[in-house]
Amino acid sequence: MQTDYMKILKLDEAERQSRINFFELTDEDFKRLAALKSFGERWTQQITDGLYELIMKHPDSRVFFPDEATLNRVKRMQNAYFLRLFSGVYDLEYLRDRLRVGAAHERIGMPPKLYLGAYRRYLALIHERLFDHFKGNSDEVSKAIESIRKIIFFDMAIAFDTYIAAYLETMTRHQAAIRELSTPVIKVHDRVLLLPIVGTVDTQRAQQIMETVLTQVVEQQAKVMILDIAGVPVVDTKVADHILQTTAAVKLLGSQAILTGISAAVARTVIQLGVELSNVPTRSKLSEGIELALGIVGKKITSTAKDDGKS
Amino acid sequence: MASGPIPILKIGPTLLATIQLDLHDSVVDTFQNDVLEEIEKTDSSGLIIDISALETVDSYVARILADTGKMAKLMGTTTVIVGMRPAVAATLVRMGYFMPGILTALSLQEGLELQADRSRAPEGS
Repeated sequence: MQTDYMKILKLDEAERQSRINFFELTDEDFKRLAALKSFGERWTQQITDGLYELIMKHPDSRVFFPDEATLNRVKRMQNAYFLRLFSGVYDLEYLRDRLRVGAAHERIGMPPKLYLGAYRRYLALIHERLFDHFKGNSDEVSKAIESIRKIIFFDMAIAFDTYIAAYLETMTRHQAAIRELSTPVIKVHDRVLLLPIVGTVDTQRAQQIMETVLTQVVEQQAKVMILDIAGVPVVDTKVADHILQTTAAVKLLGSQAILTGISAAVARTVIQLGVELSNVPTRSKLSEGIELALGIVGKKITSTAKDDGKS
Repeated sequence: MASGPIPILKIGPTLLATIQLDLHDSVVDTFQNDVLEEIEKTDSSGLIIDISALETVDSYVARILADTGKMAKLMGTTTVIVGMRPAVAATLVRMGYFMPGILTALSLQEGLELQADRSRAPEGS
């Protein structure tokens, strides 16, 4: 689904007006820009070609246009973009169009530095041709270039907002994914659950672990909840405290927590730090923890047939 | 039968108290008295307090419940608290209230089973 940046960026009529005011775009500017329509039509192809000459010369920007067909397509779009600068109408529909441009740059992964750098060339190309257009009347040229600068900066602001909004959106999505992946509760057996904890445990994560563990214990009516901390790089007092709280809460629900994955290093630090873990059954290996858990639910792992090949 | 707002039922050797409404301080005090009197009268070996209807349990209520369990223990009755909600458990441990020495079970069914197991097992196990 296409992201509605108009909504995310809250681009409504009031916002549009506020931007127009801040960029000091006046009716005079609009009239001047509209009057340059013929200028735009006359030079658009040359200016676009000049712009892409810069883009194709630089290895960083060239990669975005791998073949002739792509290049031609974006040039056509660039021409349309250019002509719209001189439409004289800068309504919400115009904003929507500019948003699409920004979103397209973001989508292909064009970094803002290239986008900005190309704009610099763009302005220079326009400037040169304005001299011709106004036959060297520098007063007219400077007025025109000022109006163009305003509308181009207006456009760039929207493009940058799109960049930022897109990045934020990606980040939010990743964070949600990480959150979800960080507490995968596994059903080992009937009424035996396992949560392997991998990575650092900060306060926020500890809270999330507690929430997930408790909810799952009640939902699945688990008799035993195994917490495997083999994947936690550092177990300090804070982490130990978080884990203790979780095991105590599991106990309050009427279930039993087992702590596994206690390495030699963790055992040493826990005792040296004076953390009291004796209320929780602990094991160094997960397999031992699973055996213990199965014992609690009245099950046992046994070998099947003898190792004689006749099963 | 107890006179307070929380009914205390006797099922075999076990007393069952189901707390249906959020506890005010005065209610919880009455409850404690009622339970202890009922134990004295009926000579029950087990007590189950079902708190599955409680959405919140403050530290005072938690302490009274734990104390009631200890008092019952002195009278030879084992207490099991059943059906605590995840949010309640999380809040209690965050307040540092771990309710040591109190037996818990996930559901009323499990609580009854736990009581039955204990009555079969020798004293002190």
